[in-house]
Amino acid sequence: MALEKELETYKREFEHLREHEGKFVLIKDDRVLDWYDTYRDALKAGYEKFGLVPFMVKQILSVEPVHTFSREIICRI
Amino acid sequence: MPHLTLTTSPGAGPILDVLIGVSEPLRKIMKTQGAAVPKPVSIRVLLDTGASGTCVDLATLSALGLVPTGTALIHTVSTTGTPVPAALYDVSLALVHPGQQFVRWFDAVPVMGASLAAQGIQGLVGRDILAQCLLVYDGQAGTFTLAF
Repeated sequence: MALEKELETYKREFEHLREHEGKFVLIKDDRVLDWYDTYRDALKAGYEKFGLVPFMVKQILSVEPVHTFSREIICRI
Repeated sequence: MPHLTLTTSPGAGPILDVLIGVSEPLRKIMKTQGAAVPKPVSIRVLLDTGASGTCVDLATLSALGLVPTGTALIHTVSTTGTPVPAALYDVSLALVHPGQQFVRWFDAVPVMGASLAAQGIQGLVGRDILAQCLLVYDGQAGTFTLAF
């Protein structure tokens, strides 16, 4: 699964991260790098630090949003 | 407000072409590194008010050389009550008025990667993008208008 390690890091660190509710966290492997006000700023920092190597940007939210689709889509992760 | 009015595709709904490219943060770092920046590609998308987010076909994302930079939980008609994880990719998305220069450019948008080609489309523009537009669906006239 893509970004499996980063997701595990997010879950593990969530209790610390939740004080930054709404911000966008940048995670690489098992490291939380920083958090940012906007999605764009977090992406920018990720590409500047890691270039074209995978990293994860995720909004810090206490209630994980679920996207809904009224038609069938097949996603891969 | 720039707008376009197009004919609704029979049996398919409000379909139009949009440009998908690498996000602006990625484009900048590729230029800095001297890497070739892939040109945006034109894809056919359905304006889908039943989709909370925007999706792009995996073949398009692969052609742009993109890898996931996030994850999201999704519900579809087949997930039967249990959300499943999906990969998110950061892209730029441009709504273009055909024949004119009106462009609305979203420079960094998270989209879900999905297999959509079997449905005759390469993407769904969901309510995350539509929330910043005006969509009028005129079923009797067989047209739709998108203002952006």
